[in-house]
Parts: sequence; C-alpha cells; structure tokens
Amino acid sequence: MGHLPNSQGDVLLDEEASPCVLAPEHPSKAFLHTVFREERFFLVLSVFIGIFSGLAVVCFRFAIEWCRIYLLGDGVTLTPLRLILVPTLAGLVIAVLVIHLFPLTRGSGVNQTKAALYIYNGYIPIRTAIGKFITAALAIGSGHSLGPEDPSLQIGAALASALGRRMRFSRDRMRLLAPVGAAAGLAAAFNAPISAVLFVIEEVIGRWTAGILGSVVLSAVSSVVVMRWFLGSQSLFRIPAVEMMRPSELIAYSILGILGGLASVVFSSSIAALRPRCKALPRWTQYLQPALAGLLIGLIAVLGAPQVMGAGYEVIDEAMHGRFTWQMLGVLAGLKIIATLLSFVSGTPGGMFAPTLFIGAMLGAAVGGAEHAFLPYLAVSPATYALVGMGVLFAGFLRAPMTSVFMVLEVSGNYSIIVPVIVANTFAYVISRRLKPTAIFDVLTREDGLDLPSMEEQREEGILRVEDAMRPPQDPLVDAQETVDRVLQLSAKASSDVLLLHLNPSGWASITRQDLRRMSGEGKGGFTLSSLVAIRHIPHLHPDQPLDMALRYVDRWPVVPVVSRADFRKLEGVISQRDVLQRYRDFGEG
Amino acid sequence: MNLRPYLAREPLTLAVLSVLAVVFFLAVTGLSHVYRAQQGALGNRWFTRGSTELNAGQFSSAVNDFRAALLFSPDNYSYQLNLAEALLGLKRTSEAQAYLINLWGRQPENGFVNRELARICAQDGERDKALRYYHNAIYATWPDDQELERRQTRLELIEFLLKIKARAQAQSELIALAANLGNHPAEQAQVGNLFVRAKDYEDALSAFQMTLKSDRHNVDGMAGAGSAAFELGRYALAERYLKAAVAANPHDVESATRLKTAELVLRMDPFQRGLSDAQKNQIVVDAFATAGQRLKSCNMQNASSEVAQPSLAETWQRMKSRVTTSGLRRHPDLVETAMDLVFRIERETGASCGTPSEVDTALLLVAKSREGG
Repeated sequence: MGHLPNSQGDVLLDEEASPCVLAPEHPSKAFLHTVFREERFFLVLSVFIGIFSGLAVVCFRFAIEWCRIYLLGDGVTLTPLRLILVPTLAGLVIAVLVIHLFPLTRGSGVNQTKAALYIYNGYIPIRTAIGKFITAALAIGSGHSLGPEDPSLQIGAALASALGRRMRFSRDRMRLLAPVGAAAGLAAAFNAPISAVLFVIEEVIGRWTAGILGSVVLSAVSSVVVMRWFLGSQSLFRIPAVEMMRPSELIAYSILGILGGLASVVFSSSIAALRPRCKALPRWTQYLQPALAGLLIGLIAVLGAPQVMGAGYEVIDEAMHGRFTWQMLGVLAGLKIIATLLSFVSGTPGGMFAPTLFIGAMLGAAVGGAEHAFLPYLAVSPATYALVGMGVLFAGFLRAPMTSVFMVLEVSGNYSIIVPVIVANTFAYVISRRLKPTAIFDVLTREDGLDLPSMEEQREEGILRVEDAMRPPQDPLVDAQETVDRVLQLSAKASSDVLLLHLNPSGWASITRQDLRRMSGEGKGGFTLSSLVAIRHIPHLHPDQPLDMALRYVDRWPVVPVVSRADFRKLEGVISQRDVLQRYRDFGEG
Repeated sequence: MNLRPYLAREPLTLAVLSVLAVVFFLAVTGLSHVYRAQQGALGNRWFTRGSTELNAGQFSSAVNDFRAALLFSPDNYSYQLNLAEALLGLKRTSEAQAYLINLWGRQPENGFVNRELARICAQDGERDKALRYYHNAIYATWPDDQELERRQTRLELIEFLLKIKARAQAQSELIALAANLGNHPAEQAQVGNLFVRAKDYEDALSAFQMTLKSDRHNVDGMAGAGSAAFELGRYALAERYLKAAVAANPHDVESATRLKTAELVLRMDPFQRGLSDAQKNQIVVDAFATAGQRLKSCNMQNASSEVAQPSLAETWQRMKSRVTTSGLRRHPDLVETAMDLVFRIERETGASCGTPSEVDTALLLVAKSREGG
C-alpha cells in the first residue's frame, strides 16, 4: 500500500507513514504504553487461551474415555444388549440435556464460532462450552458416531470468548478471540497445530492477517504443548512406513480422489437432505431422535460392525495396519456414513472431523486393497491409501483443501506422501465442488437460518482492481516548475478542469483551471506554480491494487494518479470517483 | 480506544491468569494421575489375560485381549509385540507384519521382531528383505539366552538359504555357525547335516568328527560321518563309521544300505592299495563278468539302446577270452583296459537301462573315484 491515513485523516506518503499512530500523552507512561499495548497483551492472552483450552480438551478426552469405559465397557468385545442399550439410553439423556439445559450445543461448533465472529461480536456463552463438554463426551463415549474435534474447537472458542469478556476488549478484538480459542481447541484435539491454524484461517476467519495469525499460532502451539504434557506426543495413529514407489501409483491415487469426491457428495447431500427434515418433525420427536440414532447404531454394531461406534481412531489405526480386507473396509466406510448421518441429523452434539477421517481412511484402504488385489503394479501399501484417503474426504467433504494436505502431512510426519495427497485431494475437491457447489458448513449455516460468509465462495470471488477502472492519461502532464501562463495555455487543450501536477523530485498534486485563471488575473502569470501554491500531495495508486483502495481517496481528490510500481514518475492512468462507481455498477450488473 | 484503564489493570490481569493457569494445571495433573493409573491398570489386566491365553495357544482370545490392552496404552511396546505374536499364531501375517514393522521402526535392534519379520518375508518370497531381517536378528539383542537365540536364528537362515538353493551363502553361514558351536554334540551333528545338504561334505565330515570328539558314541555323528566320507569317496573311512553306526542303531536302514555299498566298492575296486596281484586280477575278472551280465540284461530290457551297445558287447565279447586270472597274470596291462570297458559299460547302461544292481552301483562308484570325481 502506498499511503496510510493518519489520525487526522490526512494522507501520509510512504516515508511519512509511521506504525506509531497514537502518541503517548505523558513521557512517564511511555514504558507502560510500549509494554502493555493491547496488541501485545492480546498475544500474551492468546498463550493463556491456549493453555486453558489445552487443559479443557485434556479433561474432555478423559471424560470421553471414562464414559466409554463405564458405559460400554473396557474390552473390545461387547455384549449385544450393551451395544444396543447404551447408545439408546445415552441418546435419551442427551436429548433432555440439549433441549432443556444446553440448547446451543446442537449443530456445528465451526459455524457457531463463525457466527460469534461475524454476528455476535465474539460472544459464545460459557454454558455452551459446558453443555458441549458434557453432551459430546456422553455421546461419543456411548458410541454415537461423532468425533471430539468440533466440540473441542467450540470449547476453546467459548473459553476465549469468556476470557475476552472479562478483559473488556474492543469489539474487533473480541471478534477475533473466538477463532483464537477455536484454533487452540482444535490443535489440542488433533495434536496437530499447523492443521488447526490452517483450518481456522481457511474456514473460520477466511483471511490471512499478521495480527490474527500470531495469536492463532501462539494459542494453537500452547494448547498442543499442554495436551502433550498430559497425553503424550504420539500422533492419533501409528503411521506405518509410507512412500510412493512409482509414479504410476498416481493413477491409483487419482482413482481414490475421484471415489473420495463422490463419497463426499453422497455424505454431504444426505446430511443436507435429512437434517432439515428431522428438524421439521414435531418437537416431542426431538427427545427420541438421538435415542433412535443410538439404537440404529447399536444394531449396526450388533450385526457385525462395532467399529462404526465412537470416534473410531483405533479402527483407523487397525485399518492402516492391514487388519481388514478391502471388502470389509468398503463396508465400514459405507456403514460409518450411515452411522454418522444418523448421529448428526438427530441433533446429537459431536463433531464431523473424526468420522470424516474414518470414512476417508476406510475408503482409502479399501481402494488401495482392491487395487493391490487386481492391479498389483499400481498400488503398493493400503496403509498409504488410508492416509491419503483421510485427506481426500477432508478436502471433499469439509472443503478445506489446504488443511487437508497439511493435516495428512502433520499426522503422518512424512513429506514423501505430499504428491499423492495433493493429486487425490485435488480430484476430490474439484468433483465435490462440481457436484455439490455449496460446502457442508454453508449448508448447515443456511439451514440454521444464518447468513454467514462462505469462505469457499470468498476464495472464489473475483476481485476488482484499480486497473479495471482507471483511464489512460489524456490531459497533458504539468510540471510544477512551469509558469502559470504556460500551464493555463496547456489547460486549454485539456478535456477536464483538473490538471495533474508532477512535483520534483517526486509526488503528485492537482490544480484546477479556475485557480490558474485566478492567479493569472492577479498578475502572477509569470510565476512558477510551485512558488505560488502550498502544494498538497495527492496519494497515488498502483494498477494491481484492489479497487476498494481507490475508494479511500477518490472522494477527496477529483483525480488520483495511477503510477507504475517500477517507476513512480511514470503515469499509467488516472482514476476518479466516477470511474470507480461506474466500474462497480458494471460489475454488479455483469 | 482509551487504553488507560486497560493498561492500569493489565499486570494484575496477567498475574490472575497465571495463578488460574497454575491452579487448573495442578487440578488436571491430579485428574491425569487418576486417569493414567486407571488406564495402566486396565491395560495391564488385559495384557496379563492375553499373555496367559497366548501361552495356552488360545490365539484368538489373546488377540482380543491384547487389542483391549492397547486401547489403554496404544504405544506400549510389549502389548504390540504380544499382539503381533498372537496374530502370527492365527496366521494373520499381514496384520502381524504391520505391527512388527511399526515395532521395528521403534527398536530396529530387537531380535524377535527381526526374526519374525524375516519369517514373514521368507514366506512371502521376499528374499532380500528376509535375508536382511535374518542378519539383523543374528546381530540383534535378545532378552534371554542371546547366544542360543542367535544360533537358532542362523540355523533358520541356513535352512532358508538351502531352501532357495543359495548354497554358497548357506555354506558361509554354516562355517560361521560351526566356528561358534562349542561342545554341543547335537548341534554339531545338526550343522554336519546342514553341510551335507549344502553338499559341503568335507566340512560335514569335520562337523561329524567334532561331534564324535565330543561324544564318541553319538549315533548321528557316526552315521553322518559315514555318509559324508561315503560322498567324498573315502569308502574305507565310510565303512568304519557306518559299521559303528549300524552296530549302534540296527534300524538305521540308510546307513546299512550305504555300508553295504561301501563294502561292495571296496571289494570291487582293483586299484586299492595293498592288494596282491592275484586278488587284483580276481576282482577284475569278477567286475568284467558283472559288466557283461549288466550288458546282457540291458540288451534284453531295452531295444532302443541297441545302437550304442552292440559295439560295447562286441568289445566285451572280444576281450572275454583274455580277461581271465591267467590272462591278466600274463598281460598285466590288460587290467586297465578291462576295467575301462567295465566302467564304460556301467556308465552307459546306467544312463539307459534303469536302476543298477548294488554291484553295478559299486562299480559306478569305483569308476567315479577312479576319475577323481
């Protein structure tokens, strides 16, 4: 950017711009001012948010595990009665809790964090965090097919919001606190700080700014440190040795990407179709919906697929280590879609991340296994396919392409897998976008009656630039060292009343024909312009800058010069308020 | 924004937050201790149960128990190792392999893991990987009797090498193994047998002789030494060992057969040292007659071989009158000619007329040792 407005509204040139906008009132307070500025305090607070979120997520994990042990039992083989009764009864309890005590715990934590950012000025009630903690732990621990990441994200966001309220931060800061907490919660849940930071930037905030990035990174890292302190640094899965042996394997990964994209579409379309129907059912049925979902999940488990219950990380681990045949892996992927669909549309609190990873891993391992069986020269290790499959569903279903790549890298700790992941994820993302243009988070938002900005749509949005609205310079350029009469002469050939003045050694100003006539009438025709007028610099723009930038200047100056970045003296064009408005009008109509 | 009130309370806020963080941290630490203790106890309970079942050969239940144990301690090395072992018991090798590879990544020096991986690779025909894991296992660390485990692993490697017909590699492994055997007659005999399978009869004989040095009454040692000496063409030595072996174990049919052949070879070999001319001539006459008999029976058996054999038969017929004890006494140079014909007849009939009799076999062996083969 060429210029920054100062506190008085004047335009400062680059060399005049200062980061220190507010001057200290008293020199004795200079030290305090420097040390405890809001921005720095915000960064320090981000560390505390990370610590508190990390601690909360650790407790959440304990809670889920205790629920599992005490409700489902501590073994791997469970009695059919328990498999059916536990999720059903837990569903009933959850429904009562959600309807009567924690109504905001329904739905996606990601969207609620976004709503806090864009609608509620960063406000997330702490009650929501408590409710999410209790109900999600109960749901996941009792075998509902949901994951702990989304609730962790929301718990982190709610804690950050509560802290921010205590601190009485400015509205802007308050809005940003929720994403900072969300990153901390997600990082601790995933044990993957980079992915958490990327996800929050990609899906919640939607833009990269240095100020927020620092806070998000600090909170994510501190929460992961806390989580690892208590739960160890091992990743969610034991990752076998993965490598790409031959370039021809990319064909197999492309097939996986295509199938993953289709599975994502099936999954998200089913949620989009069923969720509003379930919500539209009479209110009394909402007491029964989670229980019914639990009953059906229990039946799936009794019929031979108990793996679909809960978050399923240990099953992903087993799939990576060749426990299942490719046929069984395919069946598990399908059943997990059904189980997750049941849990989610019934309004049971819990996240979609773990089920997405589960479905992706099963699908990936199934594709890898099938390809290994039928085309052994294409596919080598099903474990690698499971890993890539997780990224594929993440890209196709959650529509977070950057996060999906980094998540796989971070979980696997192996960068040799990057090419297959990028190839497969690209296929999945493109197919999913083509067949289901609206991302699942946006679908859920709209179903809930909110109009939050769609990060995906924002990413895709065309941006108008200065070059789209500027006009080529038609009027003669005037040097400030010219005399008034000479300039008046030149102005006769000009099409507009305003002439641009080129200042020495650099900079631009403007003068009107009326001013020139007035000066000439006063007998000052032989004087140079620079000796007569107190020249105010006009800010300049560059052709590649967003058109929004021009709006800051065009109401104060009749024309603004657009100059080359390589040579500030070279005028590329001019832009006026009329040009800008005309361009926006054309864009809107187009 | 007016920062003044905000600045004034900031240090206090940080202090309060720090205290709160410490308090919560301590609280979660307490909770974590309870959690870990419970997880550890549950994991241990399932592991103990699984170990008992594994030892009892109930692999399926053991697998479930170890999996349950791993739910509580997913990174536990022993749990994973035992699960892999139980999976191997169930012949679910691909699953076991995945666990073993993971364990190998954590402890590449673990002997058990390397040996199990070697076995799986050997089974899957992945020769290079199998060899690498076997070698790793030989030089790996073992929890209990390290020397014994290493020896066993090397023996297994040799078996694998013999199976894939890598005799030269097997021989070098055997030599390394024999050098570290010590005074274990049974193992020395086992090594001797492996040398025999590797067709290294010289080293086999040495190994069996070592066995007998450690235990002069070792039956396997006697039979093995006899067999090795027999293969080396040292029939007198073979006869001595085999006689002892048959005397010690009359049911050893193989040694008895070999002994009989060795005795026949010694009886039918006119070129042995220490024979009188009369004895030598008599052996030649007997061998000539045996060869003639073999030729005749072969002609009757197989019409297709008549093309080559009529000339042999004619030669034999021509020489018949001269190959007598008196004829040989008069023309001692005829011994060589007669025996050459005998060897030719035995070789050619051996190739075209089916299994030779014991005497014919003996004559073939004499021919072989005469040729230095």
